[in-house]
Amino acid sequence: MLELSMHILDIIQNSLRAKASRVEVRIREDREKDRLIIEVQDDGQGMPPEIAKRVADPFYTTRPSRVAGLGVPLLKEAAEKCGGHLEVHSREGEGTQILADFQLDHFDRAPLGDMGETLAILITGNPGVNFLYLHQVDGQTYRLDTREMREVLGPVGLEDPSVFAFVREDVRQGLKKIGAATFPKIAEILRGPETR
Amino acid sequence: MKMKELAERLTLELTTPNAPMEAEVKTGYASDLLSDVLANSIEGDLWVTRQTHLNIVAIAVMRDLSGILLVNGSQPDPDTLEKAAEKIVPIFRTPLPTFEIVGRLYQLGISGRR
Repeated sequence: MLELSMHILDIIQNSLRAKASRVEVRIREDREKDRLIIEVQDDGQGMPPEIAKRVADPFYTTRPSRVAGLGVPLLKEAAEKCGGHLEVHSREGEGTQILADFQLDHFDRAPLGDMGETLAILITGNPGVNFLYLHQVDGQTYRLDTREMREVLGPVGLEDPSVFAFVREDVRQGLKKIGAATFPKIAEILRGPETR
Repeated sequence: MKMKELAERLTLELTTPNAPMEAEVKTGYASDLLSDVLANSIEGDLWVTRQTHLNIVAIAVMRDLSGILLVNGSQPDPDTLEKAAEKIVPIFRTPLPTFEIVGRLYQLGISGRR
């Protein structure tokens, strides 16, 4: 996968298959420590410890239609090749947390991708699920919570086409505003630090 | 072979219109891992990749590559094009996958010899 947003989409699809009613995505960028942490937490059915230990194995899947499940293994590989690691924490009946840690400015760190499009697809395609997206860059935070959106929208459901465009643009602009690191630092060499 | 002739013979689409096309291309390198290209490409290589973001221009400049060829019909990001124009790095597109275009480049005498 060429972008982190595609990895995140894949991981959240696992949450949805696990019947999650709330999915929380937290991305933290710590420029001083040069770390990027992606956390996906759901309240789905969770996994017993013996399965949780195996989800990063590319030849293990709980889906009968596939011989291999690649969402978690690919994210693990992406993190490890950038000086990071992946953790899986799960409790049966309570939910699962996937945490991937990257070196923020590693040459091979995939671009963030279009989180606006990714969240718009997830939110409008799964109107019964609550999503929280928090993206922190040092002290600044962008936040999108569909519970709050529902209160504002009233009778208009999250599946409404106008919601797609709203979410996509709000996320894109919000990330721009907080200076989210779309690319690793190598771009700065050409671009200059002020436009990061 | 000159870049211009290479582009014509392989029907490559030039996405950076003002890039010079007179450079002689003798060698190429294919990879989607930026650190790999940084470590193993040589000056003058034509770089074949699926990556489209701004950093590819940085790598091409750092390694003094002759150009970048995007496969699978990939479209370069707008800021990639902007920076490529500024740094005079030609970026081409082809609808073909890496394996196929590299084979055709090889047939035209572009080698991967280091």
